[in-house]
Amino acid sequence: MAEQMPQTPLLDELEKGKWPSFVKEMKAAAKKSPMARDLLGQLEQSYKEKIGHWKHGGIVGVMGYGGGVIGRYSDLPEKFPGVSHFHTIRVNHPAGWFYKTDALRKICDLWEKHGSGLTNMHGSTGDIILLGTKTADLEPVFAELGALDFDLGGSGSAVRTPSCCVGKARCEWACYDTMRSCYDFTMAFQDEIHRPAFPYKFKFKFSGCPNDCVASIARADMSIIGTWRDAIQVDQAAVQEYAKGGLDIQNDVIGNCPAKCMKWDGKKLDIDNQYCRRCMHCINAMPKALAPGKDRGATVLIGSKAPIIEGALLSSVLIPFTKMEPPYADLKEIVTKIWDLWCEEGKNRERIGEFIQRVGMGNFLEAIGLEPQPEMVAHPRENPYVFYEEYFEEEGEGEKK
Amino acid sequence: MTQAVAERRTDFGPPQYERFLPPAIKKNYGKWKYHEILKPGVMVHHAESGDKLFTVRAASGRLLSIDKIRLYCDLADKYCDGYFRFTSRHNVEFLTDKSENIEPLIADLKKLGHPVGGIGNAISAIVHTQGWIHCHSAATDASGIVQSVMDDLIGRFEQRELPGKLRIALACCLNMCGAVHCSDIAILGIHRRPPKLDHANLKKLCEIPSASASCPTAAIRPATVNGLPSVEVIEEKCMFCANCFTVCPAMKMNNPLNDGVSIWVGGKVSNARVEPMFSKLAIPYLPNNPPRWPEVTEAVRNLVDLWAKNARKYERMGEWINRISWPKFFKMAGIQFQKEHIDDFRHAGLTFKRSTHLTF
Amino acid sequence: MAKSVDEVAEAMFNLVKDAAGLKKLKAMDLNKSMVEMFGPEVDKQTCKDAIKKLINSGRCVYTYFGGSYIELPHREAAAND
Repeated sequence: MAEQMPQTPLLDELEKGKWPSFVKEMKAAAKKSPMARDLLGQLEQSYKEKIGHWKHGGIVGVMGYGGGVIGRYSDLPEKFPGVSHFHTIRVNHPAGWFYKTDALRKICDLWEKHGSGLTNMHGSTGDIILLGTKTADLEPVFAELGALDFDLGGSGSAVRTPSCCVGKARCEWACYDTMRSCYDFTMAFQDEIHRPAFPYKFKFKFSGCPNDCVASIARADMSIIGTWRDAIQVDQAAVQEYAKGGLDIQNDVIGNCPAKCMKWDGKKLDIDNQYCRRCMHCINAMPKALAPGKDRGATVLIGSKAPIIEGALLSSVLIPFTKMEPPYADLKEIVTKIWDLWCEEGKNRERIGEFIQRVGMGNFLEAIGLEPQPEMVAHPRENPYVFYEEYFEEEGEGEKK
Repeated sequence: MTQAVAERRTDFGPPQYERFLPPAIKKNYGKWKYHEILKPGVMVHHAESGDKLFTVRAASGRLLSIDKIRLYCDLADKYCDGYFRFTSRHNVEFLTDKSENIEPLIADLKKLGHPVGGIGNAISAIVHTQGWIHCHSAATDASGIVQSVMDDLIGRFEQRELPGKLRIALACCLNMCGAVHCSDIAILGIHRRPPKLDHANLKKLCEIPSASASCPTAAIRPATVNGLPSVEVIEEKCMFCANCFTVCPAMKMNNPLNDGVSIWVGGKVSNARVEPMFSKLAIPYLPNNPPRWPEVTEAVRNLVDLWAKNARKYERMGEWINRISWPKFFKMAGIQFQKEHIDDFRHAGLTFKRSTHLTF
Repeated sequence: MAKSVDEVAEAMFNLVKDAAGLKKLKAMDLNKSMVEMFGPEVDKQTCKDAIKKLINSGRCVYTYFGGSYIELPHREAAAND
C-alpha cells in the first residue's frame, strides 16, 4: 500500500477553485488512510487515461442481508493494493437527514477504524454512504453500526432506502408528516429492504407538498406528494403588504396561475378554489400571506424512473387524495397488492412503471382493485383500439363477460 | 460468509428521527407559519408560538472526509446545541434559534471554505454520482466536472438574483443514479460505441440468455465465437445504453476515446406553475477533458447566462424555452441542431412538431 | 398438509443447486416453483421464511448482477485476493 502521498498533478488542479474541493477531502483522508492514498493514485490514473478502473462485485455483503453493500474491486490491484477491495456500505439515514453530533462522531470513529475515512453525505437515494472497505471489515462494521442503532439501507432488487423532505420539522407547507411516514414505511418494510425479492428496485419518496423537494415524481416508484382539498388559506392584509412591498401580484402571481382561478382588485385576492390545481406558485410567491388549506393529505403517484431500460418515466396519479394518517393501513395494503402482482407477472429488471406500460394501466388497476378515475390521465385515450371486454351475444340474455 | 450466525440483531432500521431533532423543532413540529429568506443562504421560519428558527445553508461536497464531518460537528456544537442536517442536494444546514449566532457561524463556514447560499432564486449544489471515484460503469467523472462547473458558477450560489430556481444535476452514465432527467440543466456521461466483447471469458462471467434479454433493441444474440459460447452484437442496433454491461461484465462499454458528456436542459420536478418536465437534449456530445472539462464548464455557463438574461421572473429554464420556442433557443444558444436532437426511440413521434406554431 | 419451512427450504436449495452455473434464480423464481410443486400446501410466508433460512444458514447467498439472485456460495469472478 502507498506509504507516501501519490503525485497527483491533474487532481491538484481541482483544489484551486472556490467551491469546496473533493480533492482536498480525499487528501485529508489520505493523510491517515492508505486506502484513501491508493484511491487518489488510481483516480489520478483515471484522469490521465479518461477511464474508470473499477470492477463490480456481486456477492459481498453481510450475513443474512441481500443488500446494503456494493462490492467494488480495483482492476489495478497490484499497483493500488489499498483499493484492491473497496466496497461501499449504504447506511440507512435518519429521516430528514437530521443528526446529533455525538452520533455522527461515533460513525466517523468507526469509519476511521474500518474504512477509507471517506463518505458521501449523502448518496443519491439518501443513504449515508461509507466509501471503501475490505471484505473482512464488513461484519465488524455492521456490528458496530448496529451498536449505534444504524442499520443498512437497500440495494439490488429490493425496497430502496425511503427518503423524505424536511416536512413538518421545518416547513409550513408540509401537508402530511413526511418524516413520520418515511420512518413508518422504512420500519414496516425492513424485510423487503434487506432481502431482495422483487423483479427490480422499488423506491418510496415522501414530499410534503407539490414543490416536491425530494424529486419523488421523477425518481420514486411510489411518489407520495402532499396536497390539500379545501381552500388556500389567505391573509388578505399580508397580501396587501406584499403588494406594497413591490410584488406585482397581477403579473407575477396571477399571470403564472395555471388555472387562471385568481383575481386581484388591488385590495383583495379572490381565489376560485374549485379550479385551483395545487401548483404552489402563489403560495411560493407569498409565503407570509398564503398557505395550503386545512384539509391536507397526499396524492400518491406511481412509476417514475430513469431511462434504463425502456426509457425514463414520470410518476402518474394512482390515488388522487389520501389523508396519509398513521398507520397508513390502506396505502400499505395497496402497496402489498402491487408487489404481489409485480412479483407474479413482472420480468427481471422491469420497474413497476415499465410493468404498467406493458400490461396497461387499466389492467393494472383492475388487478390491484382500484377504480379508474379521470385524475389518473392527462386526457382520455386518443386511439380507438380499445380492448373491449363486454359485449352482447345474439342469443342468450345479453351482456356477457 | 458461509458460516451460520445464531442470534443476531437485524432489521432494526435507522434511528428514530426524533432523537436527532433540535428542541426548537420538537417544540414547533408541524406548527410553522411562514418563512422569509433574510439573505443568500439564510432563512428564518416563524412558528405559531412566535418562535423563530434560523437556517444557514452552506455548500458541502458530496464526497466528505470524516475530518470534515467532525469539523461540521464542531460548528454544530458551538452554535446549534449539537444538531445539524443535510439537504437533498448535498448541502449542509445549521439551524439555530439564536440570531446572534448567524454571522459568526457564516464566518466560520467561510474560513472552512464552504460558501453560504443556495436558497431561493439561486443555483443550488449539483446533485451527482460517483464517477471514476467509485463506479464501474462511469462514462465520465462526476466530482471533477461538478468541481469545475461550480468553481465557475459559485457567484450564482452565493447570490439570489436569478429569475427563478436553477437545478443542475450530473449522472456519469445512463443508469442515472442521480436521476438527472428532470433538471434545469443535466450533465450526462455517455458512451458512443457498442460493447467490446471478452469472448474468452463471457460464458464464465455472464448468463448468455440474460445478456441477450437485457438489450432494449434486441441487438444482442447468442453466438459461438472461436468455438466458445458467447454473444454477438448487431452494432447498428446498439444505442449505447450499457444495460448489457450491467448484467454482463464481459461486455465492456467504457471507451476513453469516445466516452464523453451530453447536456440536457429544461426539466423540473416541482409542480409550481407548469407540470414537471423531462430535460431535453441541448448538446449531444462534449469530450471528456479532465481535469477541468473546459468545454462542459463553458457550455453550462453559457446556458445559465442566457437563461438569466432572458427569462422572466419565476421562469425556470424549461418554462422560458417553452415560451420562446426551441428553434429560438438553439439560435440564441448558438447550438447547431442536428440529427441526434431528434428522438428515435419509443414514442418518438410525440416529440415531433405537430402544428404550424413556429417562430422565425 | 401444509409444508414446513424446512421442507420448502430443502426443495428450494435443490433448485438452486441444480441451476448453479446454468441459470441464476431470483427469490420470485423460487417462490413460483414452490407453488408449482406444492400448490396450496405452501404459502407466501413459508417461502419467505425458507429463503431466510437458506441465507442465514449460509447454504445460499444473495448475489447481484443487475438484479438480485440466490445462489450457492462461490468465489466471484471480479474479486481480487
